[in-house]
Amino acid sequence: MELRNISKGFPGVIANRDISMSVERGTIHAIVGENGAGKSTLMKTLYGLHRPDSGTVAVHGQVVDFRSPSDAIEAGIGMVHQHFMLADNLTVLENIILGAEPAKAGVINAREAGRKIAELAKSLGVEIDVNSPVAELGVGQRQRVEILKVLYRGAKTLILDEPTAVLVPQEVDELFDNLRRLVAAGTTVLFISHKLDEVLAVSNRITVIRQGTTVGTVTPAEVTRRQLAEMMVGSDLPQPAPRTTQVREQVRLEVKNLTVARVGQRDLVRDVSLAVRSGEILGVAGVEGNGQFELCSALLGREHSTGTVAIDGNDVSRASVRERMNAGLAYVPFDRQREGLMLTSSLWENNLLGQEEKFTKFGFVNVGAARAACRTVIKRFGVLTPSEEVPAFALSGGNQQKLVVGRTMSMNPAVLLAAHPTRGIDVGAQAAVWEEVRQARDAGLAVLLVSADLDELLGLSDRVIVMFEGAIVAELLPREATPELLGTYMTGAKVGS
Amino acid sequence: MKLSRRARLLVLFAVPIALMSIVRLWSGEDGLTSSDTIGASLRLSVPILLAGLAGLWAERCGVLNIGIEGMMIFGTWFGGWGAWQFGPWLGLAFAVLGGMLGGLIHAIATVRFNVDQIISGVVLNLLAFFGVRYMSDLAFVGQPGGGVSQSPPQTSAIPRFDVPFISGGDLFGWKSPNVLLSLEDSGWFFIGDLAGILYGLTNNLSWGTVIGVAAVPATFWILWRTRLGLRLRSSGESPTAAETLGVNVIRLRYVGLLVSGGLAGYAGGILAIVASSYYRQGQTAGRGYIGLATMIFGNWRPIGVLGGASLFGYTEGVKLVANDAISTLFLFVALAAVLLAVMAVVNRTTTRGIVAVFVSVIAAYAYLAIEDVPQSLTQSLPYLATLIVLATASQRLRPPAMAGVPYRRGESH
Ligand SMILES: Nc1ncnc2c1ncn2[C@@H]1O[C@H](COP(=O)(O)OP(=O)(O)OP(=O)(O)O)[C@@H](O)[C@H]1O
Ligand SMILES: [Mg+2]
Repeated sequence: MELRNISKGFPGVIANRDISMSVERGTIHAIVGENGAGKSTLMKTLYGLHRPDSGTVAVHGQVVDFRSPSDAIEAGIGMVHQHFMLADNLTVLENIILGAEPAKAGVINAREAGRKIAELAKSLGVEIDVNSPVAELGVGQRQRVEILKVLYRGAKTLILDEPTAVLVPQEVDELFDNLRRLVAAGTTVLFISHKLDEVLAVSNRITVIRQGTTVGTVTPAEVTRRQLAEMMVGSDLPQPAPRTTQVREQVRLEVKNLTVARVGQRDLVRDVSLAVRSGEILGVAGVEGNGQFELCSALLGREHSTGTVAIDGNDVSRASVRERMNAGLAYVPFDRQREGLMLTSSLWENNLLGQEEKFTKFGFVNVGAARAACRTVIKRFGVLTPSEEVPAFALSGGNQQKLVVGRTMSMNPAVLLAAHPTRGIDVGAQAAVWEEVRQARDAGLAVLLVSADLDELLGLSDRVIVMFEGAIVAELLPREATPELLGTYMTGAKVGS
Repeated sequence: MKLSRRARLLVLFAVPIALMSIVRLWSGEDGLTSSDTIGASLRLSVPILLAGLAGLWAERCGVLNIGIEGMMIFGTWFGGWGAWQFGPWLGLAFAVLGGMLGGLIHAIATVRFNVDQIISGVVLNLLAFFGVRYMSDLAFVGQPGGGVSQSPPQTSAIPRFDVPFISGGDLFGWKSPNVLLSLEDSGWFFIGDLAGILYGLTNNLSWGTVIGVAAVPATFWILWRTRLGLRLRSSGESPTAAETLGVNVIRLRYVGLLVSGGLAGYAGGILAIVASSYYRQGQTAGRGYIGLATMIFGNWRPIGVLGGASLFGYTEGVKLVANDAISTLFLFVALAAVLLAVMAVVNRTTTRGIVAVFVSVIAAYAYLAIEDVPQSLTQSLPYLATLIVLATASQRLRPPAMAGVPYRRGESH
């Protein structure tokens, strides 16, 4: 595949500027770059989701002009999108086979589809009920469905836009084994990720994009992780100073015997008790779908639960979401687009969400103050955008995430529930977000941190708990928690103290 | 309580019949389960059923269809005209085409030009209402029996038949025994009622009705078993996801709206050709809107729409055939609600229990206190049922996620 002089602009931004690169057949070609560098835009061009303003794409030496994804699919291209493209009310099976249904005379052969999906799932080492509606799945499961979707199609060229953002390391390994098998059989993979270790481990070549254009192509052997990061950012990486933690006495979040039951199923959260103190970060490890989401929802007051929850000593077990937020609770959601943003509304309106009371007087929104607040967040968290007026969908994925995190942090919470806070954020900005969280913690914030990224989890947390099938199965200190040990707890192979 | 699927279905059918039987024996009023009532209910249900399916097809592909009433009006007019000119079968075909014309207009407006879907539907209703008057002026005025608001009467009708062996139908000229009628006349507990219901459903059937009811399994089969159906539903659930998989959302929305229009047109055709023998202005009488209510009642599923349409058709049927039995309908509702309340207590579902008790008290009051049941009250019963469904089951209703949201190609984000 050959890209020549591709340019693509949006109102107020040039996302891709004169990009040329070539991808060899039967290789894994990684593309890295800062948030908003133009990676997703380029991939969407390749997949026919929009047409470039100028430049050409050639596949197997032939220049193509994709007017819609169907053209790309016909040319043997498949894509995993950064933001899930799934229909909630359709089942997993329906989502996977849509557009490539095994059918005889138009009638779908569901059994054959189910068998094929089961085989694929097994090779990926994932367990999934193909007949449950996607609406019932968590983010990790959705990611798996997205991957199954593209593998099912058996495309010759795979475009994977951050396919591993919420997968735990074991799952990432399984995916890579699979990709290597496919590549050996002649498939070409284009792979985008912000996890540079992954990139170095799996790819044959790496192209770096900065501010819309390519700055170079290297092989993993030539560069270290640090050099790669510096190519992306164009300068030295900030090195956050290690600091000692100062956990205080005061318990800010106290949970006792919390259970979330669901009729006809096992309990989603089973008898969870925990306490997070002022100045403490409590990490939650676990394969996605083991009650982390329901735990956060219950703490937030969105999900019916039994047991008690107290914030700063006040019992909020029966309080509404609003009351809990007023008591100092804040939330970085699992899925920014589903739970965090109004995609077609402006950034400042999005930033207003959850703090409308602060910016309204006599029922009127103080627009000037709301905009100013949004500008502050944009600046402090380095959100790349022409202004606070653009709609949220115009931001790149990582920048959307920064806005959501920034909004939450700017509320100055007492207790923070953070789910995958740096999902999709590039290495430079990731360090900045971690630094923000650390500073707030030092000022007395209590954090419950759910993350699939073990570096993040072990690097930030003061203590780590592991959840399996809704219950806490282990509590560890970060320095004793090796990835292997965590792995055994996370898969339920071992139950600790 | 945990029952297998089959056992649950059995209970769902058997318990109401048993209750009705009790009501009949208690009050001596046999109008609730007489074959006459049921036959009328079936005939009255079918247009509503088809209107509901029309709504289902439209919303499943992602477009709200307030214009069903208008498409039905097209159906009645074209059906009445076609049947008068060319006989009943071609009349039905013209009714379908007329409805599809309405569907096509709605599709061009909403899918091609992104007109607001509600506005387009409302405009379509007005257009149909005045349009057919104009066409009547051209086609019917001056003909014997015709006028601006009415077509000349048709001279032939769609054939009717009795089902052989159980309802006394003919079989190659031999008249088979009429088992169900004898059973109904026996008046036995449960058996008499069941036979009455079955006989009502199987005697003097019009082929037009049979075809209409067949739209239920056909809809289910096409939408949930075929490739076209999956793609069509995906256009209503997530057009962006569908687009990224190479599905042509625009085309499928046209298909959905054409089918929707065709079904609504057929519903109109039934009114003009099967339920009567001429086109008359105002024949649809708001059934398009009732159809939309059954679609919601039925959770956007064909079987559910069938249930909703039966409910509406049945109350109409009782009113039409057995007006005296109407008050016993309230007794039936009261008893059924008591049963639901007991179940709610067993299952510990508080809201449902409260609603059930409330309904049963009101219905019991209506039965005991009101001598002459006002028509408006009985007519509101199915609407009340729809409201109760919405109140108690709204958590589990699953309307197509993107129905009503305009879609432009290439605007996925
Ligand atoms: N639909 C759109 N309308 C307007 N601007 C857009 C649109 N999509 C992307 N952009 C802009 O184009 C630039 C590149 O975005 P892109 O999504 O390609 O970044 P990315 O490299 O994928 O970043 P990330 O790592 O955060 O996903 C960004 O500045 C973004 O604001
Ligand atoms: Mg991106």
